[in-house]
Amino acid sequence: MFSLLKKVVPILVTGLLIFSLFACSPATTAEEGIVVVIPEDPPSFNPAIMDAGYDSLVMELVMLGLADIDASGNPFPELAAELPTAENGGVVIDEENGTMDVTWNLRTDVKWSDGTPVTSDDVLFTYNAIIDPAYGTWIPGIDYIENVEQVDADTVIVHYNAIFPGYITQFGGELIVIWPAHYCDATQGFSAWDCARTPLSNGPYLLEEWVNGDHMTFVRNPDFYEKGKPEIAKITVQIVPDEAVRKTMLINGDADLDMWTTEPVINDLKDNPNVVVSLSPNNRWVFRLFFNLAAKGTTDPVATPHPILSNVDVRRAIRMAINVDTISKEFFFGYAKPAWTEFFREPYVCTNIARPAFDPEGAKAMLEAAGWKDTDGDGIRECQGCGTAEDGYKMEMEFITYGEYGEALELSQQLIAEMLGNIGIKMNISVVEGSVMWAASEDGGIEQNGNFDIDIYDDGYAGIDPTDFIYGYYHSASATPDYGTNYGRWMNAEFDTLLDESYTLDTAARQENFCKMAEILEAELPEALLFTAVNADAHSVRLQNVQSSTNDLVTWNAKDWTLAK
Amino acid sequence: MLNYIVRCLFQTVVLLFILSILLFALVNLAPGGPLAGQGRSRQIRPEKVQILKRQFGLDKPLPTQYLIWLVGNDWMMVDVDGDGANESYGTRLGILRGDFGFSYRTRQPVLEEIGQRLPNTALLMTVTLLVGIIVAIPIGIISAIRQYSTFDITVTTLSFAGQAIPEFFLGLLLILIFYAWLKNPITGEPLLPSGGMTSLGVSGLALGDRLVHLILPVVTGALGWIAWYSRFLRSSMLEVVNKDYLRTARAKGLPNWMVLYKHALRNALIPLITMLAIDLPTIFGGAVFVETLFSWPGMGRLYFTAAVDRDYPVLLAILIMGAAAIILSSLLADILYSFLDPRVRYD
Repeated sequence: MFSLLKKVVPILVTGLLIFSLFACSPATTAEEGIVVVIPEDPPSFNPAIMDAGYDSLVMELVMLGLADIDASGNPFPELAAELPTAENGGVVIDEENGTMDVTWNLRTDVKWSDGTPVTSDDVLFTYNAIIDPAYGTWIPGIDYIENVEQVDADTVIVHYNAIFPGYITQFGGELIVIWPAHYCDATQGFSAWDCARTPLSNGPYLLEEWVNGDHMTFVRNPDFYEKGKPEIAKITVQIVPDEAVRKTMLINGDADLDMWTTEPVINDLKDNPNVVVSLSPNNRWVFRLFFNLAAKGTTDPVATPHPILSNVDVRRAIRMAINVDTISKEFFFGYAKPAWTEFFREPYVCTNIARPAFDPEGAKAMLEAAGWKDTDGDGIRECQGCGTAEDGYKMEMEFITYGEYGEALELSQQLIAEMLGNIGIKMNISVVEGSVMWAASEDGGIEQNGNFDIDIYDDGYAGIDPTDFIYGYYHSASATPDYGTNYGRWMNAEFDTLLDESYTLDTAARQENFCKMAEILEAELPEALLFTAVNADAHSVRLQNVQSSTNDLVTWNAKDWTLAK
Repeated sequence: MLNYIVRCLFQTVVLLFILSILLFALVNLAPGGPLAGQGRSRQIRPEKVQILKRQFGLDKPLPTQYLIWLVGNDWMMVDVDGDGANESYGTRLGILRGDFGFSYRTRQPVLEEIGQRLPNTALLMTVTLLVGIIVAIPIGIISAIRQYSTFDITVTTLSFAGQAIPEFFLGLLLILIFYAWLKNPITGEPLLPSGGMTSLGVSGLALGDRLVHLILPVVTGALGWIAWYSRFLRSSMLEVVNKDYLRTARAKGLPNWMVLYKHALRNALIPLITMLAIDLPTIFGGAVFVETLFSWPGMGRLYFTAAVDRDYPVLLAILIMGAAAIILSSLLADILYSFLDPRVRYD
């Protein structure tokens, strides 16, 4: 038996290897197009439903919205003939009633891939499908729309009951596209219709095949309205769940694009001659500390103020004790950039807020002055006349983050806990699932129930209008559980007024308001912004004109991609 | 025997009913939920939460949700547009009538999602299990009959290593060697593909291409099985080789191979076959690590994604089907045992 095994095994192994020589090898040659690798299937072609990112990625290949935003934050028309503005008469504001009308004129040369022209019927159909109470969904600003009026085949007027600064990408951007009225089955509903899985294209590519869990194949749309584009004949989106395998495929030349490249992978690829990493000009995701101003487990900062964090000097001392540069260098390979105000991205940049200094000694002095002293020598401060807690109350808190981000965030959390430990604040760290952290209050959500002292995670706004994002995190109306994301329950009437007044199209007034808001946030520090994660996409050298964008998925300009000869 | 099978099947139905309650409660009562932010969204706006609750049926009490999941809601009036009035009959049929609902993530019928993945997993796991058994049986036999030989010691050491090496590590190592390092001397392409079921652009049966894509995931997955089954068979063989009936067989002058294969192996295989029957459900459950590493579109990945995304309908369907498969395979093991071992009688 043993001798038989000794004969059979080498024969078997040799046979397999020889067999592999003549079997089909991976087919990713230049003339066949490019291969994009992503970790999981898109849920559909309709990101308004799920916003997984992968849905937006493939949506951008086949469908168009009225307008989109480029990597620098400049809006540009897609189905629209031009962007409606007050200057060209496309936007008419009724100052007296606080309403506005936006007129969209559509291009007349765009057709669906079955030859049917794209018309205002499709815009109206899309709007009605979204607001359908049974099967529709909610998209930003939809509540501000009174109705959509169809003027003619190429014109619609969107009547708003308020001023909505985000109107430009309300039916575009990375989440919304216009759906074909003659093709989609309205009875199936916007959230589940079949056309979101077998879309009719009006974009640069057509979906040829979708093998669930394996790959999707897109071929050039010969009737795309921009003649001569796209240049690349075929894009295969291959599902490769493992990050290390995607990286190896990129290095090996079997993949041309790996989206959302993380900092460790960027670092690994930086010297590889076959790979280029495209960095977005702006970053969206800001890592930040969320301070709970109400006592842990409660949501009313007035009735039950937090015994430690309700003092702004304590919050400031915590920020002073954190060395952002060290975190960036150690865990984000230097790609994380310091951020300290919400208004750091074009077009609304506020330079009136100075970067806070890393000053642990200053932090210690600030805590001493605030009445937090280590009198028993155990390395943890206690309240000694702090005014927010009983004397002897230990400066010990729970510090939570979510696990899905991965090692870099968890290591950052540990280092921050250590840095705060150095100034006498004991942080008990815990890592939870995002679905627990951000769940609704009735589902036991940590944030909504106020069951935390300090949290750290990343968030930021898509596009170029920060108002809704800021409203969600800082407006008093958002502090009620399940009615917003003001988890710290910070409330400031002056801030609310400034934010409410920022719902205007007057960019100068918005800029002024935002910078005043930035000053209030800096003075009261409801959150401590620390640094931004990088927004990057790695691609092969031969694939050109790729531009990573924090405003959209990397395929936002796929029609302009070319292959080096 | 028939009575026993009927009795077991009845018990299976009762057990599955109890399990369905437990699984539904466990999944739904776990902290967090599907409305905690979807995809990239860190949180969902309250306006959207209300719509999703209604569309997912999460606006009803948990017992009602269970009832609808079990028997559907086509017999009751429901409020589909959120105006507070129940205006039409529901459309769900319930799992008892084969309707497992729709995926929260894709909004596609759950059975459709599973139907796309199940054949892929069945192929991968069947081949893996077969390879595991085919390799493990001779190794187990030789180890037993040459106990404490160099071969036995080597195999024992490798078996422990095989059981101890995590699949994700072994898989990555194999990818590194056979995909990144070793090249096909004729085409210059990697010797073996890094993953997927077929090469891109390949359509139809393409048997050769499919087999090549099976090599690395099967080797990765089978190593653990080989280690486990070979150790198991070795122990079984060692138990029987010193039995009296084998001594009798040898005394009768039977050749050694006949003693080993006709008398020893047959008896040693009985517990192995039982073990195998119990392991059969893995053919449907898939292997998360192997499927993830080798981009194999199977049930393991579907389950993992559903768990991470809190896609309860998909999660529950896989769990209840898995439970049914385990119960039925245990029944199968019992039946097989009665056939293989004449001493076992259920009547």
